Amino acid sequence: MYPFFSAMYPFFMIASVLGSPATPEHPVVASYCSSSMGPEYYAFELYTTKNIPGTGLAKGRAEVSVSSAVPFSVALGPDGSYVYDVQVSIERMRVPRQGRLVAWVTTPEIDRIERMGTLNDQLRASGRVSWNKFIVVVTLEPEDRTEDATWSGPIVFRGMSRSGMMHTMVGHGALQEENCAAYGYGN
Amino acid sequence: MKWRRAVHTVAALAVALPGALSAQHEMHGMTMEGAWRMVPMDPNMPMLPGLENAVPVVGPFMPGMGMDPSMFPEARPSETVAMADGDTLDIAVSMVRRTIDGHEMVMFGYNGQYPGPLIQAPKDATIIVEVTNEIELPTTIHWHGVRLANRFDGVPGVTQLAIERGESFTYEVHVPDAGMYWYHPHVREDVQQDLGLFGNLLVTSPDPDYYGPAHREEVFVLDDMLMDAEGALPWGESAPTHALMGRFGNVMMVNGETDYRLSANAGEVIRFYLTNVANSRTFNVTFGGARVKIVASDVSRFEREQWVESVIIAPAERYVVDVRFDQPGEVAIANTIQAINHFRGEFYPHVDTLAVVSVDERPAEASVSQAFETLRDHDDVVADIDAFRPFFEREPDHELEATVRVRDLHPSIVLSMEADTLYVPPMEWNDAMPMMNWLSTGEQVTWILKDRRTGAENMAIDWRFGVGDVVKVRIFNTPDSFHPMNHPVHVHGQRFLVLSMDGVETENLVWKDTAIVPVGSTMDLLIEMSNPGEWMMHCHIAEHLHAGMMFSFTVEGDDP
Repeated sequence: MYPFFSAMYPFFMIASVLGSPATPEHPVVASYCSSSMGPEYYAFELYTTKNIPGTGLAKGRAEVSVSSAVPFSVALGPDGSYVYDVQVSIERMRVPRQGRLVAWVTTPEIDRIERMGTLNDQLRASGRVSWNKFIVVVTLEPEDRTEDATWSGPIVFRGMSRSGMMHTMVGHGALQEENCAAYGYGN
Repeated sequence: MKWRRAVHTVAALAVALPGALSAQHEMHGMTMEGAWRMVPMDPNMPMLPGLENAVPVVGPFMPGMGMDPSMFPEARPSETVAMADGDTLDIAVSMVRRTIDGHEMVMFGYNGQYPGPLIQAPKDATIIVEVTNEIELPTTIHWHGVRLANRFDGVPGVTQLAIERGESFTYEVHVPDAGMYWYHPHVREDVQQDLGLFGNLLVTSPDPDYYGPAHREEVFVLDDMLMDAEGALPWGESAPTHALMGRFGNVMMVNGETDYRLSANAGEVIRFYLTNVANSRTFNVTFGGARVKIVASDVSRFEREQWVESVIIAPAERYVVDVRFDQPGEVAIANTIQAINHFRGEFYPHVDTLAVVSVDERPAEASVSQAFETLRDHDDVVADIDAFRPFFEREPDHELEATVRVRDLHPSIVLSMEADTLYVPPMEWNDAMPMMNWLSTGEQVTWILKDRRTGAENMAIDWRFGVGDVVKVRIFNTPDSFHPMNHPVHVHGQRFLVLSMDGVETENLVWKDTAIVPVGSTMDLLIEMSNPGEWMMHCHIAEHLHAGMMFSFTVEGDDP
C-alpha cells in the first residue's frame, strides 16, 4: 500500500489543483482561517461529504475564539455554556453555479439548529454558538433565505467541536476494553 | 549569583514547609496515621481499579486534631476597620472555632474573624499592620495586588522570613491604587487560606464620583470548602493533595457563611465587591436575571462600564459590579456552570446557590435606580492607559509556557488520564475526577512555568528589569501535557493589562494583578514595572503554586 500512495502522490497533487480551477465567475479561494484567530487546540476540521461536484478535495475548518467584547478570559451563556465566536472557512472548492453555501450550527442530537450565515465570496462565514458540544454543517441551499429554521439542501461539509471528542469512559477506562455500547452509552 | 539561587531554594522550601505542619501534630501529641478519609464522590462514578483503598502518599493534616474545638474562641463575622494614613492595626493569627454546614471545627482566623477584618484605607495612605502569629504554622501576610514596598510583600524566603509562632512582623502597607484588594498568607495557602486566613483591603478614592451611584455596597468573599459527613477533609501534611486540579470544595460560602442572605427594595442598586479566595474554583456568578454592570477589577476600573450576564471570577481576582434588583421576590446569587462528568463524557448543568436576596415591594430611591441605566466612561483610566498604547504592538519580551510533569502516580490514574485526553476543556468548573485529583500530591506533580526561550523552569527563571520598563509577556497554556488546566496567573507588586488572548485584542481594558489563562490559549500581558524589588509570578491555584508553579523576577531601582 505504501509504495502505491508514494507513486500516486504527484497525481494527487495535480488533481488537487485541477479540482479547484479558478475562473472569474467562480473564484477559488485559498483564504483558509488563520490559526491566530482562536486557540489552535479548539479549532476543528470540516470534512467534505462529496455530495456536490467540486468538493472532492476541498477542505474546511472552523476556528473558535472568545469574543473580545466580554471582559473575561472565557465567555459564558446564562446556563454556564461556553459562548464562542465561530469562523468557518472552506478552501480548494469549486463554487457551485447555483445555490448558496450556508453554515449552520447544531447540537450533536440535532435537536436544535441555528443558522450561522451565508458563506461569502471568500467562502467564509462567522457566527456565534453557545453550546458546549456542537456540529458545524455547511449546506448548499437553493435560496438564501435567512428565515429558514433548518437546511433543506445537501450537506456539503460537517465537523464536530473538539468537545465532541469527550467520550464516555465506560468500557474504555483504565484496564477496560469493553465496548461502551454494552453499557448503554453510544456517544 | 549562587546566594540568590540559595534564597530561591529557601523560598521554595519555605513555601513547602514540610516540617512546619508536622510540628503542629507533635504539639498535640497525635499520630496522624489512618486519618485519611476518602474524598466524597458521585456514587454513580465507579472506582478505578486498584484505587479502592488508596490514600495520598503524604500524611494528613488537620488543625487542632484531637483537641476539643470548645477550647478555642468562636470566630465572629468580619468587622470593618477604617484606617487613616499612619494608623496601626494589630492582627493576631490565631486558632478559632467555626461551625460550617453543621460541623464544628478548629480553623484559623485573623483577629478571630471570618473573613479577617475588612480594612478600609484612603488611596495613597500608608497603614501599619502588626502581625503576631499564634498558630503553630509559620505564616506571613501577602497584600495581594497592592503595589507596596517589596520588603512588605509577605513572601517567605524572598522578601522576609516566615513569622514563626509567637513572633511578630510589622508591615507598612502603602496603597497607591483605589480598589478592592485582599490579604492572605504566602505559606502553604492550600492549608492556611482554606482554613480561613484571608481578608479584604478596600482602598477608597478621594473622588466621590469614582464609582457611579449605588444605594449601598456589599462585600462578597467567595469560597468553597471540601467536606464530608464528618467535616472538612484533611489537608496534605508535607505537600498538597489535589495537585492536579486543585482542591475544589463542595460547600459554597459567601463571607464564610453557607446561607448568606440579603434584603433589598425593588429597584435597589447594590454594588458588590467580589473576591474569590477559593483554592482552585473559578466561579461563574449569576444574579438571577437581575441586570449586572461591570465597573472595575483588580487594580482599576475598566475603561468603560459594560453590561454582563454573569461574573467569571478566578481565584484571587476581584470584580466590582453594580446590580439592580427590579423584581420583588427572592433572587438567588448562584454559581452557574456546566460541569463535566468525565465518566459519561458529558457536560451537565450545575447550580450552587451562594446567597439569596429578598427583594421587597417597596421601591428604592428612584434617582439611583435611574442612574444605573447609564454606562459611564472612565476617561481617566483611558488616559492612564494611553501612555502604554505605543507598547501594545511590540513583540513579546518574554514567553512562558504553562505545563505539568508527573511521576509515580498510580497506574490507574495514568491510564485513565491517557484515555481522557482527547478533549480538555478551557476551564475546569468542577472536580470531575475527585479520587484521582485527591491522590495526586505535590510530591508527584510538578506544575511548571517554562521560559520558552531559555528553557528555564519555575524558580530557575531569572528575569531582570528596571523601574519604568514596560514588558510584554506572552503566556501559552499548552494543551499537550499530562493534565492541562486553566491557570490564574498572579504578578506581585506590579500591575498589568491583558492586551489580547489568542490574537483577539481586549476591547475594554482594566489594570489587573491576576488573570486566568484557559487551556490552549495564548495571553499577552503588558506589565508596568513600576515597583523595585524581587517579585513573584505564579499560578494562584494554591495547589499548583505549592507544586512548583512560580518564579521570581527582579525590578532594579531604588526602594521608595
